[in-house]
Amino acid sequence: MTFAIPKTAYTGKIKEVVLGRGPKAITVGGETSYPFHLFEGEMPHTPRIAIEVYDTPPDDWAEASLEPYRDVVGDPVAWAKKAAGVYGADMIALQLVSTDPNGLNTPSDQATETAKKVAAAVDIPVIVNGSGSPEKDAELLRKVAEACDGMNLVVGPVVVENYKQIGAGAIAYKHTLAANSPIDINLAKQLNILLGNLGVPDGQIVVDPTTGGLGYGIEYTYSVMERDRMAALTQQDERLQFPIICDLGKEIWKTKEAKAEDSPLMGNAAKRGVLMEAVTAQLLLLAGADVLIMRHPEAIRLVREMIADLMA
Amino acid sequence: MIRIGENLNVMIKKIGAAMKDRDPKPIQELAIAEAKAGVDYIDINLGPARKEGGDLMAWVVKTVQEVVDTPLYLDTINTEAIEAGLKVYQNRKGKAVINSIMARPESMESKLPLAQKYNAGLVALLWGPSGLPRDANERGVLAAELMQKAAEFGIPNEDVWIDPIVTPITSPQSQVQVPSCVEFMKMFQDFQEMAPGLKATCGVSNVSNGAPEHLRPILNQTYMMLLERYGMTSAILDAFDDDMKAFAAPGGKQDLKKIVYKVMDGEDVDLGSLTKEQVNYVKTTKVLMGKILYSDSWLEF
Repeated sequence: MTFAIPKTAYTGKIKEVVLGRGPKAITVGGETSYPFHLFEGEMPHTPRIAIEVYDTPPDDWAEASLEPYRDVVGDPVAWAKKAAGVYGADMIALQLVSTDPNGLNTPSDQATETAKKVAAAVDIPVIVNGSGSPEKDAELLRKVAEACDGMNLVVGPVVVENYKQIGAGAIAYKHTLAANSPIDINLAKQLNILLGNLGVPDGQIVVDPTTGGLGYGIEYTYSVMERDRMAALTQQDERLQFPIICDLGKEIWKTKEAKAEDSPLMGNAAKRGVLMEAVTAQLLLLAGADVLIMRHPEAIRLVREMIADLMA
Repeated sequence: MIRIGENLNVMIKKIGAAMKDRDPKPIQELAIAEAKAGVDYIDINLGPARKEGGDLMAWVVKTVQEVVDTPLYLDTINTEAIEAGLKVYQNRKGKAVINSIMARPESMESKLPLAQKYNAGLVALLWGPSGLPRDANERGVLAAELMQKAAEFGIPNEDVWIDPIVTPITSPQSQVQVPSCVEFMKMFQDFQEMAPGLKATCGVSNVSNGAPEHLRPILNQTYMMLLERYGMTSAILDAFDDDMKAFAAPGGKQDLKKIVYKVMDGEDVDLGSLTKEQVNYVKTTKVLMGKILYSDSWLEF
């Protein structure tokens, strides 16, 4: 008697979303099965990796994560070019952290200029993230949307407090939104509904479930993403059938474990941080991530290898 | 359906103040209003009642019984307060009910003797030594334990009200919890066969905790239909919720129940043939059965 591997019955499909424009535009999504379950369905687009670029030189980074970018940290354009040219980023993720009202509070106009320059300097798709202050991001990301008219950026994080302002900008100037919810599946769904009600086309939404790092809540993010894909693929939950984006690099490299120096107990610092980032990325891919925002080139190399193996 | 009015609660500002000042008027007015609204029991919720809980419960029971004959639920975790209430309680139209006894040794050992001594009913709350049960089976284990303990104390089946614990649909864990509570009720039917007369009750409105206010009634009512199908015969609820009252009436909403049961059984329901209201109940059933993920806008899809 032959044994037949039980297969999951899927009824849904993740929507395809195009990021960026021109020959280097990227399509994500389109899955008809759980991540890498190629024996059950299709995964027409390989998950993609964006490399982080910061608008201001970081002052508290672990040595290992700073080293690859030391020569470009004062210049976001040069940084983006290096990430694309030297480290082969699929996308650039510009982190406009200096706009944080509780930090440097860089004016939105100035940060918008930075975004415009970076977006013009590379031909790959660009993600522009605000600082996470809902009020400031509402103003900032609207301006970025206007200044980069038609470039189809991914802008985020879009939250329930500011989705109307940012959503309107995305509709008017044709950008994609990273809809962010606080590791909560019901709120994720609700925000997608609200964006739809506002008139944002489905092809311009990706979901950012909020990413916890390894040892800092990765299991919660994992569960929410898992549930998201179950609802999307097996329960025909149309408002969850969107690609998922995970902003993980910053979560890993801010932990005390990633920053701690070499020691007999904790081992080699560089290796430790790289592995923490790679393992976190791996988990997120298995949970359903379509786009990963990462930092260290070596961690990215490891994750690419894993993706290639699983897609083969 | 048996309705237990939840309004006489220390958390309600006016009632809390009256309890503190031993001012009988607001408490008696509310008790009379609840009785007029036709509830079968009035729940007297003192909360933890750590300080002078005994005095307070005895006073509230006497105060309420001066104006109404409706039987009472005595709702506090303070054992001394429960006993003080039972001591002064006058059984005119039914036994008092201890709300509640948990499936934890210290709770059962301190409160079951009171039910026996004062010939009272009890709510057997399925909250175990490690807290909220994770699924229907764990609920079943706790129910069996409580029933066995109650039998050891000679408490008649019909005085035991199993409360399977209703959790909010708005919280992420509840995509498992909300359907498992319904699943447990199927098991409850078996328990009833073993222990004829066994009752069940629940805080049904907790299912809609955190949902938009105007949408809470449909969640509460639908969930009640789901639980009632398998023998849930009572609920602790707002005495003045007219929708629930109409729903609780014998033969209430029969057509709707037929449709809801079909959805529960996974049968296809032709939405085109239904009214807008019926469609909303279908959608709500799917959400509560874990077939559709909850969001605040669930009725729009």
